[in-house]
This record gives sequence, structure tokens and C-alpha cells, in this order.
Amino acid sequence: MKKIYLYYLSSLMLFPILAQSQVKSKLWYDGNARVLYNRDALEGTLKETDTVSTRSNGGGFTILDLGFHFTPVDDIEIFSEVRLKNDFGGMWGNKSFVELRRLSAKGVINKKISFSVGDIYLKQTKFTLYNYEQELSEYEPSVFKFYRDFVNYENYYQSNYWRLQGVQTNFSYNMYNFIEQLDFDGFAARVRGQEWMGKPELLMIGGSAVIKSSNNLNLGSHYVNTFEILSSSNSLVTYYNPVLNTQLSYSGTLKDKPYKVLLEGGFSKRGWDGDSLAPEIKGNFMEASIHSKSKKGEINLGFRYVDTDFRSTGAQTRRINYNNSTTTYPYYSNNYTQRKVSLIDMMSDPNIYNQNLSTSLMNYNPMYSSISPYGNATPNRIGLTADIDNFNLTDYLSVKVQAQYFSEIIGQGTTNKRSFNKSALHSLLSLDKLLSLKNSFDLEGSINLETVKRDGEDFEKIDFNSILYSGSISYELIKNLKIIAGAKVFYAEGNEFIAERDMYDQINDYSNNTYDSKETILIGGIQHHFTDDIYFTMQYNQFNVLDKTNTYDEFSMGRLIFMFNMNL
Amino acid sequence: MKNLKFLLLALPFFFTSCEKDKIEGPSLNNLYGELTILESLNVVGDGADFSVGENIYFTASFSKQVDWQVKIKGLNSGSVKIISGKSDAINQSNSTWDGNSTLLPFFIAEDCEVELTFEMHDDTIYNQLNIQGEKEYNDESTVLITDFENGFNPNFTNFFQSTCLKKIETGDAGQSDRFLVQEGTCDWDWLIGYIDYPANHWLQQGTLNANPDNVYFNMMIKGDSTLSPTNEANSLFKLEFYEDENQDGYYDQNTEDRLEVEFDVNWNGWKMYSIKYSDLILAWNSGGNAIREPNKILKFRTLLLANPASGFAKADVDYIVWSEGSPILNQ
Repeated sequence: MKKIYLYYLSSLMLFPILAQSQVKSKLWYDGNARVLYNRDALEGTLKETDTVSTRSNGGGFTILDLGFHFTPVDDIEIFSEVRLKNDFGGMWGNKSFVELRRLSAKGVINKKISFSVGDIYLKQTKFTLYNYEQELSEYEPSVFKFYRDFVNYENYYQSNYWRLQGVQTNFSYNMYNFIEQLDFDGFAARVRGQEWMGKPELLMIGGSAVIKSSNNLNLGSHYVNTFEILSSSNSLVTYYNPVLNTQLSYSGTLKDKPYKVLLEGGFSKRGWDGDSLAPEIKGNFMEASIHSKSKKGEINLGFRYVDTDFRSTGAQTRRINYNNSTTTYPYYSNNYTQRKVSLIDMMSDPNIYNQNLSTSLMNYNPMYSSISPYGNATPNRIGLTADIDNFNLTDYLSVKVQAQYFSEIIGQGTTNKRSFNKSALHSLLSLDKLLSLKNSFDLEGSINLETVKRDGEDFEKIDFNSILYSGSISYELIKNLKIIAGAKVFYAEGNEFIAERDMYDQINDYSNNTYDSKETILIGGIQHHFTDDIYFTMQYNQFNVLDKTNTYDEFSMGRLIFMFNMNL
Repeated sequence: MKNLKFLLLALPFFFTSCEKDKIEGPSLNNLYGELTILESLNVVGDGADFSVGENIYFTASFSKQVDWQVKIKGLNSGSVKIISGKSDAINQSNSTWDGNSTLLPFFIAEDCEVELTFEMHDDTIYNQLNIQGEKEYNDESTVLITDFENGFNPNFTNFFQSTCLKKIETGDAGQSDRFLVQEGTCDWDWLIGYIDYPANHWLQQGTLNANPDNVYFNMMIKGDSTLSPTNEANSLFKLEFYEDENQDGYYDQNTEDRLEVEFDVNWNGWKMYSIKYSDLILAWNSGGNAIREPNKILKFRTLLLANPASGFAKADVDYIVWSEGSPILNQ
């Protein structure tokens, strides 16, 4: 009897809590918190020869990005992310910043049509709207991931989406015959706002329609048009760039192995209305690929053709802007030499990255990216690709392999065409599994090799090679606390022509550049994971950039860095 | 389905023939390649008589697009014609020559040397040609005022300071044989001398086009600034044009326009000075309708001026002519 009374009493006391947990909360929070402190110091001969730059400089910040999710009704969610930032060195708010990082709303109409407005993330196909990864980031050892996460987060890079302001809607129809499902998606975004006495407003509209059939055959059509609004400025010229991409895919099995075949093609047009000097160019592309996945790993084989005149604002915009100044030591040496964007900055500096779509082909550095500087949408390419992903040779060794062979379709400045080769290999060796150790012990290594060649007369020959060696060791001392060490060594040698383009992207000159450089990055320290999303790292980095054609401007720097990251 | 799979696998091979032979962008050969002369310089129309409208042109071809220049120099007159272009071939479309001059004096019937040179390359090719008849600039679109071949027209009234002179000289003329010398030192006045050229005493009679944008005044002037003590331009040349608006045969400064222009003679050798009638400046005390009417010119005056403190001044004159549509050297 006593037990029954206790039982009823406990239920009565706990009832409100139980009741509360059954009611959905209208307001909830998420976000990210980060603390970063770094101290950079010149090293090597620069310490003696550079009497103008500071020997060392430190900086850092604390950031709290607080996201508020509010659902006034079940079908609508309003999201707002506010950043509170305090730079080190400021007390009582004199170096504090508050800014609105994101504001958007999304919802579902009649349980059928979903929509998003405000700051939205958009992605379509690799030829219409796609945010390609930055160069030399593929096959990067995991010890460098904290830098990559920091750079991507600050620049709103999420899984190849572009962050734009606009509205998006999508809906589906289920059917019961040969056609199983119809998916529709449409969006409109403002890429560039009105400028006082400047360029017209630039908008992007797009849509997708996908037919899924009952025999595993899917047909999709994707369209994007980037255009300027004539009435939004005093200019008489407006830009336009429609791109259409049609995809046909088929999924099947061959000898019990599933595979997927994708065939896609399309065209683009780009011009300037109202400008009699501007050319209108039309280009097309085609890609065919076969993908198969098994327990052992995944394999991809592909063929790609992209016309010289193919242009796509949404797919050919690059992440790295080589015209931006570097944050760390933008100028150095007594000659006040401007420090060019190098591997250090690509790895760790969010300020050299670009967040806006570009209507013209952005500059790139062939040293770091000569094969596909604009991703799959790089114009003037025809060739084959093959890659093997997550291939488990044994239960402690997995590898990834990639090979690409491309040729130009039209020679630049000559009838001789460039040939491009890329080979990449990544391996992960889990020594703890091999040696039956209790604590995690991983070795990672990767090689990325790119070559560009062109035959012909002496004045047009190209012979360029670049190779990036990366490696890392990660040993778990105690639970979740690891000692980490990593290295990247990059070599670039040879010559390559950089095309100089006018305002219409037409080539009007070339510069023949000679490269003979070596860059080294070494990192070592500790890393502790509270959870997968909450960790801190403290380490020492050593950077060296040597251009052997100009050894006087060698740059060496050491960095002590502490970073705490928490995803809420 | 088997057919579809076959099609998907075979499709890429259809695109292997998509490689094209044209090039993107400017040719690297043109920018960086070595220059090879494929066909040497030839003269087509050698011995031309320019006075009857014959022409001469040149031919040559090269291994790349290059900036080239053909220079023709008269061995007797010293006249120079320069034809230039950028291409990988010289032919009739880019090198036709009608006998005109780039640097005065005019060509005469003479032998000429021809030189072909290239920018950024040391190659030079030589040739020769002969002119049977020199180009005639006088035609229905020109009105010749004087060329001084028959001496100085006594109807051209003039005044020169006592220490200055004008005279006709033979040889080294801008055109043909004779020209007018004007020179001297005057240390008390700016004026060296002036000459009036009344319209009714011009060598050719005719009414000029009424449209001032279509009428050009041309005069050969020979400068010699090295003669001044400070080796600087010491000769100021002034042109004045008097319009007889009421066509009564007289000029009234209170009711009729006077237009003028002045410039330094700061060059050596012969030079053709050309000015469009509509570019002339209305004189400060001009009393007319302020409308430029070349068809109502009564006379024009040339004045040679110099700073009294600066010493010797000189500006010789030859071949004074009106042209319609363009300056005389572009006819």
C-alpha cells in the first residue's frame, strides 16, 4: 500500500515535466562558439634582413554565433543568427561587434509546397550552380581540418552551396504509373544590389524539374539565368547568362553490384545587351559517368567535354580571390614586398576567400590549380576521369585514388593544345588496428600531382609540374586527447602561360610565367575532442615560402595557435 | 535497356573528334615567334605617272603578324612617304601609294629608295622605284593661290621692315623649283613683314565652298629655328582672313568679319600647315555677322612676327592652296 502511494505521488510530481516534454518548443537555439588566439613571428633570414616589419604580432577573438529558431505556427520557422564578437585587446566593449549573420524564414504551404526566403543556400548541378571546393583541399589529412572548418564557416561555405539572398520553393507530385514522382524546384536571388552611379542590379533565377520513373530512369532539367535589370541604373548595357542542363540517369545492378549511369549535357549563352562591341558567345558541355558502390569502396569513371565558350556564373565562380590582400604580413621585407596568396593563406586565412558570384572568369594561379580551376565547369576541356573512394584494402588500410586526363579543345594562341594530367592518392593507416593498440593511432598520407604540357615551337612550349605531399600523425594519449603532427610540402616547377582577358573575357594577351618554388607547412600540437563538434587544439605551425627565382623574398613564419570550437 | 547501355558507353567516342584546329586568343607566334621573310619586298607599278592617277603598291609576306613600315625617300627632292601597318603580308589593300608625301617637300619625277623595317625586329629590306610623273594636287577640289613658280605676283601687296626682306629663291623648294623667302632682324617692332593675297589675283579663280567645315587652307612653311640666338622658335606666323560679306569689293572692319590664327614656326624644314576654315578664330574687333563664310573671302594676309629682343626670324613659304573635304596632303 505504501508503495502504491509513493507511486502515485511520484507520478503527480513528475506529471508537469512529462506534460512539458510532449509539447513542442516554439523557440530553440543553436549556433557556434569559437575562440582563436594566434601569435605570428618572422623566422629565418627575414628576422635579420627585415628591419621594417614587426618581429611578431598577435591577435585573436571570441565569437558566439547564436541562432534563434522560432516557429510561430507549425508550418513556419524563422531563423536568425546573431554574432557577438570580441577581439582580443578590447575590454568593456570597445572592440566588440554585434552583427546579424543570417536571417531567413522557411515553411510549408498546405503540407505540399515548401519555401525559404531571406539568406538561403542554393545549389543545382555542377554546371549551373555549384560552389566548388578550393584548390588543394581534396585528400587533405584530417589534422588540418580545424583550419578548413574555420575558413569554410566564416565564408558560409556549406557542402558546395552558395549563400544568396532570395526566395526558393520546391514541391513534388507522387504518381502511380510509369512516372513515380515529379520534383520541382524554383528560386530567385539577388546577386548584386543597386549601386549608386554603378552597375545595374544583378539577379539570378532558376528552376529544376525532375521526373523519376518506375524503371530507375530519371530525367531532370535544370535552368539558371543570371541577368542585370536595365531599369535599375543609368547604364544602357545589361548582362545575361542563361544556362540549361539536362540530366538522364539510370540505376541498375550488374552481377549484384549496384551502379548508376549519369548522362548530362547542356548549353549556355552569355552577352551584353546594348553594347555593340560585346560578343555574344554560346557554348555547350556534355558529361557521362558511371558510379558503382560496394562494401570495398566506390568507383567513378567519367568523360567530360566542356566547350571553350561555355560560361556559367553560378558554376564558374571561384572561392579564392587572388586579388585580395593576405591578413598575415601582407607586406614584408625592407622592399615592402607584397606577399602573394600562398598555401598558408589558402589553408588558414578566411579573408582571401570570395562570397559573391562573379559574372566573368576570375583569376587563378596555375601553380595551385591548372587542370580544373573552375571545377567541372572549366571551359575548353575534354577528357576522362577515374577515381576510387574509400577503398578498404584491409580493415586498417584504406585508400582513395584519383586520375584525370584532359586536353584542350582549342589551343590558346596556337594550334597546339595543352594536355593535363592529374593523379592523386590518399591513404589512411590505422596503426591501432594493425598493432591492436588500445588508443587510436592514425597515419595519413597523400600526394597530389598535376602536370601541364604543350608541344610546339620554343616560344609556345609548356612544361609545368606541381606536386603536393601531405602527411599527418595522430596519436591518442588518453581518451579524446591526441598528439597531432602534420606536414605539407608543395613544389611547383616549369613554365605556364596565363591568359590575360578583357572585360568581355576575351583573351588579348599572355604572360609566360616561370615557376620554381617550394612551400612547406609543418604543424604539431595537441587536440582534444569533447564531442565530435566540440574540441580545442593548441599547436605550433611553421610556414616557409621560397621562390627559387627570387630567393631574396623568401618568407618564413612561425605561429602559435589556440582554437576552441563548439557547435551548439 | 542493352541498347541504352551501349549508347551511353559509346557516346563519348563521338566527341573525340570535337578537337578543333582554330585558336583562342591572339596568336603566340605573332607575339613571341621569330620573324621570317617568306616573300621579299616587291614594287608593283614601278615607273608610275602619278599625275595621270597611276598608283604604286608593294608586296611582301612574313611568317607572323608584325608592325611594318615602308619608307620611300626621293633621292632628288628629299621627300618622304611612310606607309605602315600590322599584318603578315603587304599587298595592294594596305600599301597603295598615289604619290603623296608624309614629309615635305613633294616628290618630283625622280628615283626613290624604298626601305622596309619592322618593329621589335632588326630585319631591313631595301628596294628602289622610279617616279615618272609627280602627283598633281590641283584638281576640281582645290583652288591654288600661288606656288611662286612664276615669281612673286606684284598684285600681292606687302610690307617688310627695312632690316628684313622677302625674295624668291630657286632650289630646295617645298614644291617644284621656287619659293618665297621671308626673314630678317627687327629690334624695334614685332613685325618682320606682311603680305596680302587678294582673291582676285589668286593663280586659280573660283568660288570656295560655303561650308566652313568643308574648306581647308594649306600652306607650306619652312622653319629654321636653329638660326635664332637661343636656338628656340623665334618666328611667330599669323594668318588673317577678310570676308566681304556685302560683296561690295571692300572690307569694312566695322561691319564685316576678320578671322585669324597664329602659331609658332618651331620646326626645321618644310611642313604643310593646314587648318579647317571653321577652326579659325574670330578677331577681337571683328564687326561682321560672326558666321564663317569662306565663299566671301576678299583676301588673306600672312604676317611674320618676332620678339624684337630675340634676334633673327625666318619663315619661308611655298604652295598656298585651298582644298575641299580634307587637308591637301590627304587628297
